[in-house]
Parts: sequence; structure tokens; C-alpha cells
Amino acid sequence: MEASSLLNEGLTLMLYGMGFVFIFLTLLVFVTGLMSKLVTQYEKSVGVLPAGGVPSPTAVIPQHGPVRPVAQAKQEPDNLLSVLSAAVHEYRQRHK
Amino acid sequence: MEKLLHLWENTGLYQITSGQGFMIIIGMLLLYLAINKNFEPLLLVPIGFGGVLANIPGAGLADPGGILYLFYTIGIESGAFPLIIFMGVGAMTDFGPLLANPKTLFLGAAAQFGIFATLMGAVLLSTFGVFDFSLADAAAIGIIGGADGPTSIYVASKLAPDLLGAIAVASYSYMALVPLIQPPIMRALTTETERKIKMVQQRHVSQREKIVFPLLLLLLVAFLLPDAAPLLGMFCFGNLMKECAVVDRLSNTTQNSLINTVTIFLGLAVGSKLSAEQFLDFTTLGILLLGMVAFSIGTASGILMAKLLNKFCGGGINPLIGSSGVSAVPMAARVSNKLGLEADPHNFLLMHAMGPNVAGVIGSAVAAGIMINYVTGG
Repeated sequence: MEASSLLNEGLTLMLYGMGFVFIFLTLLVFVTGLMSKLVTQYEKSVGVLPAGGVPSPTAVIPQHGPVRPVAQAKQEPDNLLSVLSAAVHEYRQRHK
Repeated sequence: MEKLLHLWENTGLYQITSGQGFMIIIGMLLLYLAINKNFEPLLLVPIGFGGVLANIPGAGLADPGGILYLFYTIGIESGAFPLIIFMGVGAMTDFGPLLANPKTLFLGAAAQFGIFATLMGAVLLSTFGVFDFSLADAAAIGIIGGADGPTSIYVASKLAPDLLGAIAVASYSYMALVPLIQPPIMRALTTETERKIKMVQQRHVSQREKIVFPLLLLLLVAFLLPDAAPLLGMFCFGNLMKECAVVDRLSNTTQNSLINTVTIFLGLAVGSKLSAEQFLDFTTLGILLLGMVAFSIGTASGILMAKLLNKFCGGGINPLIGSSGVSAVPMAARVSNKLGLEADPHNFLLMHAMGPNVAGVIGSAVAAGIMINYVTGG
């Protein structure tokens, strides 16, 4: 008697459990799909979030025109100049 | 002379029982597997060492008042350690592949069949008088099939604390054995052409979707299955910390130092359950066997579900990703990828397999919640 009741309980738990796992995840599939649609719709008008998170409010006024491009601009002509002069040098050597 | 005799009676050599000796050897074996064979070393080193410590005769490290006993009571009996680990796992999880293809959630659901089939197996075995498992024990054994260490420990600590040592060792060893157990089953259930199916590139998932998803999951759990809320709640919290990108410091701590700290104590506490009188038992053998069955059935049902899904969705789903529905992240996904590459060297399934893999974590946590709900409430 006791053995068969354990068997029954086990069977019930199996059906109930498997059923619920499927119902839960099916719901999740639909809800997730809906959420993705809504968010994509919303982002069409608002734009995406910055990848690094929303910047925190700060008292310091952000400096526009960061320093790096300036340094690059300074470096580039140097580089360009040496390449150009090398090319000119090469040209003159060949066409003597 | 009397003093000398007293000293002799206090040595380990005098007090050791054969069971303790045997368990120390098992602890050493676990250490060997971890160090020499690289089987889940992060867990088996603390578990193995804890097992050796717990069996030192006369020291009583695992008895009330001992340090391992303390770790066990604080961390595992209370359910805290597995939950903190789950938070860390959440912080390391990327839901992107799942969000790109939500259908893979079905694979994560199907793979949980192993859990319930094994529960049934354990119940049948006790009906025929082979073992003496209660419904709670059977449920805790079945959860090994989820191949999710923290979930197994959590459920075992709630439903069958006596079996915890064996269940934890079984579930972590099978997680380490994923690359050995799964491939034969996967090859047997798929054909060469099915293994060659290529899957289309996943769409881009925006940051906002990734932030909303854990909240959505949390709400669904809160409304439908509050018993799974401890596990999935911590999981979602960890994931939200990662995805929202404004609390990087917290997220980094959760993913690294916190989860490592807790793993050390969790391992030692599980090891303390490897005491001779609890582990050297016929039922341990049964648990190890049933765990293996659970795991194999989970793999098989995941693959069959993937084949079904492939039929219904008009192709484009490689059945190999079905086996990743068991939650061993990311080993199961790597195995899918490896078999895909074996069939066709240009077939990269890793990202596609991560979807069902993450779905498996959610699925086994839901299954755990149902079991706890049913057994303790009914």
C-alpha cells in the first residue's frame, strides 16, 4: 500500500513538474519575444544605450574636444614629413 | 608509563577505523583526479581536502564544534553558499544568445526531463525494495540530472541533507565528465547530415534588452513560482549588475573574489559530508548510478527536442545544440561546438549552443523550485 502511494506521488510529481517547466519556459519565450519587439521599436525612436552604461551625473563640465586628437594631429605631420622627404630623396636618387 | 599509554591512545593510528581510512583514500583520490587529471579542480581540491580533514580520527573537524561543521551549518544548511554562487554565475552569464533566439528555451526545458525521469527511477527502485529512498530523497537525486552543482546542493540541503555529500560529489563529477558522457549519446541520436546543418548568424541584441530580461524573468518567477525565487532571484540580480554597466565594481567582485571565496568554503563544507558513516553506504552507489542515468536522459531528451524543433521551424536548427540544454555552462556548449566542427570544419555552433545552455540553468532552477514546492508543501 505504502509503496504504491510513493509510486503515485512520484508519477504525479513527474507529470506536474515537467508540465510546469514547459509552461513556464513557453511563457518566457513569448514574453521575451514581445519584450524584444517593444524594445527594438522603442530604440528606433530613442537610440541605443551607450555600451559603457549611462554616465553618472557630475559637477565637472565635460571637456569637449579631448586631448588625444590634438596629439595625433601634432604627430601626423611629423610622420608625413619624414615619409615625403624619403620619397623625394628616393625620386632624386633615381632621376639623376 | 600511564602517560605514555594515554598519548598512544590519542594518536590517529590507535583510533582510526577502517571506514575512516577508506574515506581518506577516497579524499586523496578526488585530489588526484583534480590535480593530475584536471577534473573540476576548483571544486574537487577543496572537496577532496575537506573529505580528508573530516575523517581524521579524533580531531572531530566535522563534528559539532569543529571548523568544517561550522562552515556547513553557516553556509550550506542555511542555503547561503549555493545562492551566492548562483549570483556569481548570473554575473558571468550572457543572455545575448538566448535573447537572439528565444526558441532555444524549449531545449533547456526538454533537457530537464532527465531530472524527472530519474526521480521516477529512484521511486521505482524503492518500490521494488532495492533502495529505501523517500520522495524527498528521490527528488534530490533526480536534480543531479540538471548538471548544475549549486542547484543540486541547494535542493539536497533542503530535501535530503543526509545524502548531500554523495549528491554533491556526483553532480560535480558528472559536470567534469560532460565531454566524455555526452558525445556518444549525441552521435547515436543524430545523423551525419543533421550534424552538418549550419545555423544562421545571430541578430544583434541591444543592451536595453539585456537589462530588461533579468527583470522580466524575475517578475515571471515571482508571480508563478515563488519557490524558485531564491535561486533565480540571485541569478537575475547578478546578471542585472553585469548588464546595467553602472556598478562594474560590484559585478567584478561578484564574478571574481566573492564567488572564489565562497567556492573554497562550499567545497570544504561539502567535503565534511564525506564522513565514513554517511558515505560508505550502498545508497551512495545508487546515487552515483542514478545521477549518471539522469544526465544521459537529459542529454538525449534535449537532442530529441532539438530535432523536433528543427522539423517544426522548417530547418536551420542543428540538433547538436540540444544537448547543451543540460546546464553545465559552458562545457556542454563546447561539446556541441566540438561535434559540429567534427562533422564540418566550418560549422561553429558555440554561440548557438550558449542559448540552450543558459536556458538549462533557468530550467533546472525552475525544476528545483517545483520539487521543493511539491515535496515540502504536499
